[in-house]
Amino acid sequence: MDTNVLEVSGLTKKFGEFIAVNNISFSVREGEIVGLLGPNGAGKTTTIQMLLNVMLPTSGTISYFGKSLFTHREEILQRINSSSGYARLPWRLSAWENLDVYGYLYRVPNHRKKIKDLARRFDATDLLPILFQDLSAGQMTRIMLIKAFLNDPEVLLLDEPTASLDPDIAENIRDYILGERKKRNMTILVTSHNMAEVEEMCDRVIFLDHGKIFAIDTPQGLARRSSTSKLELMIEDGLKRLIEMAKKERYPYIEKNRFITITIPEEKIASFLTAIGRCGVVFTEIEIVRPSLEDFFLSVIHRRRV
Amino acid sequence: MKKFSWTRVWGVIIRHLYNFRRTFDRISDAFYWPSLDIIVWGLTFSAISKTQQSIPAVYITNILLGVILWYVVWRGQYEITVNLLEELWSENVVNLFSSPLTLTEWTVALLSLGFMKLFLTVTFTATLAWFLYAVNIFRLGLLLIPFLVDLLIVGWWFGLFVASLFLRWGTKIQTLAWAGGYLMMPFSAVFYPLASLPLWMQRIAVWLPTTYIFEGMRTVVATGSVPVDFIVKSSLLNVVYLTITLGLFISSFHKAKMRGFGHLR
Repeated sequence: MDTNVLEVSGLTKKFGEFIAVNNISFSVREGEIVGLLGPNGAGKTTTIQMLLNVMLPTSGTISYFGKSLFTHREEILQRINSSSGYARLPWRLSAWENLDVYGYLYRVPNHRKKIKDLARRFDATDLLPILFQDLSAGQMTRIMLIKAFLNDPEVLLLDEPTASLDPDIAENIRDYILGERKKRNMTILVTSHNMAEVEEMCDRVIFLDHGKIFAIDTPQGLARRSSTSKLELMIEDGLKRLIEMAKKERYPYIEKNRFITITIPEEKIASFLTAIGRCGVVFTEIEIVRPSLEDFFLSVIHRRRV
Repeated sequence: MKKFSWTRVWGVIIRHLYNFRRTFDRISDAFYWPSLDIIVWGLTFSAISKTQQSIPAVYITNILLGVILWYVVWRGQYEITVNLLEELWSENVVNLFSSPLTLTEWTVALLSLGFMKLFLTVTFTATLAWFLYAVNIFRLGLLLIPFLVDLLIVGWWFGLFVASLFLRWGTKIQTLAWAGGYLMMPFSAVFYPLASLPLWMQRIAVWLPTTYIFEGMRTVVATGSVPVDFIVKSSLLNVVYLTITLGLFISSFHKAKMRGFGHLR
């Protein structure tokens, strides 16, 4: 896992005065799964489009396998592939016909057998004769994923890969992706709004905001940057006293039917529990919810709004 | 060094052939409109020649030849422009060019489709003209070939010109895919001699290769010999226009890529 298969340096994209991606640099190692996260308008899709060579950067370089994407385009695109939960294929062609076309474009040997095998794996055999326009959003996503795996890519760029999928199919696809990574040491760059998915799949997360890299870390590392936890209690006695204490310490809280959730810095939990015990607050249930990647995501959004 | 792949060219061709057999619009464009043109023009001139004895019989041959050969130009440009529109409508440009497909391969595929469907349309319309009016354009034999080639090249460069406009302005101007070629028609002396045009139109017509091709074809029908000077003039003009429109097309493609193919609508 030491070889960098993707290196991005000083990547910038301007549309007139607007800077969509602002001088970002990062690398992805062989076999690594990296999440590209950020709020809407952070520059994720623009970055992915530049990585696929369907948009030219204003400045900066992109290299795969040690070769420039701009000078070795065909060689590199033959070894990578992509899928987007929102991308579409020609709607008047059947799923099979569309995949057949991409079998030729990627010059996949014996591609018709490969399509059948992948369709079986993604539970999509029945979808192949159907016109693309007649597929549901989730079914289209599965066909796009078959396209993405047709050429056994060494690097896979996935933009919201499980958007519109039912949870069981999303899980099946995540399992397949993780299995392929294990089997072929495939490298994956993925964007997703599903934080649990990112935490499950990704080794590292690149967090973009306003076109810049805001943070690069493991999902757990990013989650830890959000210092607040949630303390959930079911109160038997002393609810009013507890609320007074939370107000005094300026901890935000939500109370409903004797259940109370208090947002509190992680290091203050122990002392707060001791304090409420001294005041005679009696609780029958307690749960401490550690900060997650979603909390980090939300904290960035809140910071943006402020 | 970029490697040209005929497999990828075939991938693009088969994509449009799959679409052709499933789309009534494309089938009617290939058969219905040409049939209607042959029938209406043929009937009109048959009726006129019956009432006006002074009209020579060769007129109907020239008119139907004009109709059939104009479809060569139209077919060449149509395969480039409408097939680009198909990709824009289905938001498939990002998928296509995130694969190893090159612009050269894509262009060659569309030009080849024009060439393949040219046979389909010309054979169909010529057979219809022979069946309905006993006008056999194939009696001109090999003399037709240089004219057909020149006309196809006109269709190609005009198609590349319109495709360049689509890459800049998208589907807002999509009507040019069907109607654009007809801009040249009045100036091209398709159905009438160049000399019959007003002077201002003649000044424009002399810069169009189609003018020399249709004038040349009428000379072939009348005399049975090929006017070489007409073929040379039309070919030279074609080389100039093809070079210019190829440059424009490549430049428009590059500009579209700067904006991002995802923004093409």
